[in-house]
Amino acid sequence: MDKIFAYGPILIGGMGVTLAVAVLSMATATALGAAVAALALRGGAFVRAATAVYTTVARGVPDLVLMLLIFFGGERAINAVLAAFGHGRISVSPFLAGVTTLSFIFGAFLAEIFRGAFLAVPRGQIEAAEAIGLTPRRILVRVVLPQMLRLALPGFTNTWLVMLKSTAIISIVGLQDMVGIADKAGKATREPFLFMLAVILFFLALTAASSDLLRRFERRFHPGGVADAR
Amino acid sequence: MFARLAAVLLVSTTALAQAAEMKVCVEGAYPPMSMMNEKGEIVGMDIDIAKALCAEIGATCPLVKTDWEAMIPSLLEGKCDAIIASMSITPEREQVVAFTDKYLQSPSMFIARTGAGLTDTAEALAGKRVGVQRGTVSHDFMTGEFPKVELGLYGSEEEIYLDLKAGRVDAAFVDGGTGETAFLKTPEGAGFAFFGRPHTEKKYFGKGVGIALRPADGARREKLNAAIRTIRANGKYIEINNRYFSTDQYGD
Repeated sequence: MDKIFAYGPILIGGMGVTLAVAVLSMATATALGAAVAALALRGGAFVRAATAVYTTVARGVPDLVLMLLIFFGGERAINAVLAAFGHGRISVSPFLAGVTTLSFIFGAFLAEIFRGAFLAVPRGQIEAAEAIGLTPRRILVRVVLPQMLRLALPGFTNTWLVMLKSTAIISIVGLQDMVGIADKAGKATREPFLFMLAVILFFLALTAASSDLLRRFERRFHPGGVADAR
Repeated sequence: MFARLAAVLLVSTTALAQAAEMKVCVEGAYPPMSMMNEKGEIVGMDIDIAKALCAEIGATCPLVKTDWEAMIPSLLEGKCDAIIASMSITPEREQVVAFTDKYLQSPSMFIARTGAGLTDTAEALAGKRVGVQRGTVSHDFMTGEFPKVELGLYGSEEEIYLDLKAGRVDAAFVDGGTGETAFLKTPEGAGFAFFGRPHTEKKYFGKGVGIALRPADGARREKLNAAIRTIRANGKYIEINNRYFSTDQYGD
């Protein structure tokens, strides 16, 4: 047990890295997902086909493969472009590669969730709003978005929980996240299970806390107060 | 004209930077060669060797923490300039990276109860029962050099130690490095000791562990080979070795 305390400070630092990667990735994935969903719903034939390719690829390729592809291949691609313009080499940091990969993957899952939520808002409500003379902008903000939000929240919560655990893949490119540190500390002290237990407890605490928080949001966005009122 | 000048300047600055700096990929998950301490720093014999070699060639060596799976890609993509991570020289790896001469070859060694009076000759061990890990280079060595020894075959070195303690085998033939750190130095290994000499016969045990470099870095390879010879000759290597092991891990 004293071994956990000895490694305590860097483990806590690792938790910080894990959380930072997760929160930042979720924020960019949400923005990306919303943009892609909007394009998929409103774009022309070509744009819609492009979004379909994106969601298929991003949801179909294993995260580890994509991670290595962006970390190594992405750097090579950027440098090839830079070299063409006569610039020197740059280096993609593990943190940036991690956030980019997770945003890219989970942006696709969120795009599908948002698209589904939009389609689930009854068409008649939008027509009714048009009939009473609301502008398209007001229809979106007052009618569609509030309902979309509550329809999308369960899927959003799910995606967040999955993504939180997917952050573990970033240690492969050398970022010192909680899982990577615990793995190495476990090997150095020959106490792998002790450190893995700490990781389990950390993730359980985090997932429990965040699902509780998001459940509060779900209740908040149901004016009737009943989660399954339909 | 200016573009060409700028290009020349850029190239020369990179060349200078290369001479003064060698980024080293390290792993940190293979104690006691490479492991993470309480401060999150990677320490171990690999790292001490890396620092000694860098001092020898006059380079600064920032350590780049990399997982095993990403080692060779990191080297080839220039995220580091050398891999010093107990990487064995194998024909497969030699197709994509260039290795220096070995800086390490953990020998295989015999272990028996202290005072058992055994020696590592084919005659002395004839008829004795020796435990080895199945399918390893140690297994090949025992079959080839000690045909009259009765072999006990095991799935892991841990299982050999259990039977050695229980008296089901007279001796164990295992990796000297892990034999020391995972058995002899633990409470389990009390009353046991190495006997005979360290075995690294090339026919069975291959070329050992080297530093992996990009194939184009021929000049660096020569410098590092010279540096390895120097720290072997001036005692620096043994000093580092003895911080972690009681037997010389270089082999012969």
